[in-house]
Amino acid sequence: MTRRRDMIFAAAFAAALFAGSVAQAQSGPIRLGFSMSRTGFLAQAMPDQVNVYELWKEQVNARGGLVVAGGARRPIEFVDYDNQSKPDVSVRIYEKLITDDKVDLLLAPWGTPFHIAVAPILEKYKFPMVGNTAASVAVRQVKAGYIWFPTSAIPDRLGVELVALLKTQNVKTAVLLCNVLPFSKEIKTFLEPELKKAGIEIKLNTEYPPDVKDMTSMLTQVKQANPDAVLALAYPGDSVLYTKQAKELGIAAPFQFVAIGPSGSSYTAAVGKSANNIVTIGHWAPERSEWPGAKAFNDDYVKRFKDQPDYLNSALAWMSLEILEQAVAKVGLDKEKLREYISQTTFDTINGKVKFNGVENAITPTAFLQIQGDSPKLIWPPSIATSTFRPKKDW
Amino acid sequence: MWLDTLLSGQLLFSALVTGSLYAIVAVGLNLVYGTMRLLNVAHGDLVMGGAYLAYWSLTLLGVPPLLSLWMIGLGGALIGLALYRSMFRRLLIASADPGRVEANSLLLFFGISILVQNTIAWFATPTPRAYLYLDDVYKLGDTAMTGNRIASLVTAAATCAGIWLYLRHHVVGLALRAVIDSPLAARIVGVNVEQVHRTSFVLGFASASVAGVLVSMMEQFSPFVGFPFSIAAFIVCILGGLGNIGAGFVAALFLGVIETYGIALTSLNWRSVLLYGVFVATLLAFPQGLFGRRVRS
Repeated sequence: MTRRRDMIFAAAFAAALFAGSVAQAQSGPIRLGFSMSRTGFLAQAMPDQVNVYELWKEQVNARGGLVVAGGARRPIEFVDYDNQSKPDVSVRIYEKLITDDKVDLLLAPWGTPFHIAVAPILEKYKFPMVGNTAASVAVRQVKAGYIWFPTSAIPDRLGVELVALLKTQNVKTAVLLCNVLPFSKEIKTFLEPELKKAGIEIKLNTEYPPDVKDMTSMLTQVKQANPDAVLALAYPGDSVLYTKQAKELGIAAPFQFVAIGPSGSSYTAAVGKSANNIVTIGHWAPERSEWPGAKAFNDDYVKRFKDQPDYLNSALAWMSLEILEQAVAKVGLDKEKLREYISQTTFDTINGKVKFNGVENAITPTAFLQIQGDSPKLIWPPSIATSTFRPKKDW
Repeated sequence: MWLDTLLSGQLLFSALVTGSLYAIVAVGLNLVYGTMRLLNVAHGDLVMGGAYLAYWSLTLLGVPPLLSLWMIGLGGALIGLALYRSMFRRLLIASADPGRVEANSLLLFFGISILVQNTIAWFATPTPRAYLYLDDVYKLGDTAMTGNRIASLVTAAATCAGIWLYLRHHVVGLALRAVIDSPLAARIVGVNVEQVHRTSFVLGFASASVAGVLVSMMEQFSPFVGFPFSIAAFIVCILGGLGNIGAGFVAALFLGVIETYGIALTSLNWRSVLLYGVFVATLLAFPQGLFGRRVRS
């Protein structure tokens, strides 16, 4: 009798424990996992993205948590690891996040190689993740299903749109300066034939290594070529170098395009008013009133970090969080339902409507920013422009 | 047109700025290696530290870099002194074998390098930093020169000249050269070797910090920019002959000229090929460095 009573008591205790843990799982914090390049050569790119994640977490928790379909709000917490700027380490981290840490949701790492590297893991474990800072024609090779890319800055589309913008400015001659890193090389691959097709003469076409420290000899040739447009397919470090040395040499081209870097505040901090009228890649700006959350995001970021968000990478990171948040609010944390919902739905973001066709954002147009005064303005395409192109007249 | 470019003052100015920066970065490494056979792979991180201190001095305290570099140089010297007293003096006493000193110092400095990089990344975030200082452009004939590049050239040249004069004329400087030439003979004739070691650390760390100030005036920097400076410093030191301070200055200018004019004749993509090609070719022809033999004779 006593033994039977003990067994009943033990079973009841176990059932209570199980019920408690289920309740805890349904009301406790939602755990979001990601890896980030906190150390290594890509670490300097990390703050633009991770700051956005932190801001979102603070705002969501201040609202009482993330709305999960069919339930109450639940607070969120991050599980994140340093990938040492190595895609293979990132792959192992995402596998650990899914299988060992058993996180509820995943956020994206920084950069195209990292996104492409983790895609097979997402496919293997059928775990959806909205990407953000990845832009390459290679993303179209990624199997559609569990990863999506909100950017519209895909190199083939960039080539077409940049040449369309050049033609509106009656550009007849250009020089092409290209950092040999993958993204800039990819832009060059698509830009060069478009320039030729448009009849724009390429007066100088040269490449340089990522560790460039002095561009004097190259820019002396640019000055001698005296083109209508300088197209510097640069990364953040050499964007600053180009601008400083182009100023020193007095490069006078009225159209000056610097691919990556000018969308972030560290560029303007480094070069000051020389940044004025530099054209760069970017499809978001806070001034556009048709995107209601855009200004609020910008203001909140500035208030929290005393710095401007990067108009490309920070905006993309926030867009990915908005998409995830809307999907979780609608279908909860079920991975298959999330996958289906994200694949089929049109989302409202700070960059306007976003809908995915396969892995690619099918709505946001490929666009360009120009630094005018103290911030970048959208100047292309006309459908979303907040300002018009201004020729660069001085440094 | 090519000849015009090659003969232009613009390239000469650029070569001098690059060469003088290499010289001031390398001299500290050369002093520390020459006197103690310590392989300071964290040398570039000292440069990076100097850059951050200049940035904070300007942005937080409003002190312009050409003023703060005195304090930053002094700060670098004090850090060098502290590291010497706390770690490296013991290492030098404990290891009589120079090969072992080199290996152990390599490990120690490697650890310090990682520690410095990640502490600054944690404390200041890895966001690239830069500031505007002396960014007006001046013209001398057809040669355009940004103020901060002129300031860098003058400061680096003055610092290197100061160190050179100190080594030539001051009694401790002479003792330092004696220790570089032959530590054992210097000890036998009564040179205070420990004082020489201490001085090398102080001068080496101070000059690296000042180099960091100059870098910060011209370039964007992050906690991870130090390693290329360490590599450049090693190339200069080996080209000139390890421990040969004067030859190091010449080697640095030589490297600046090769880099600037070599690129003008080829392409920027050839930069590494030119630098390392010249480095390897020189070592094959002169295993002691460009000036190693002449100094020893």
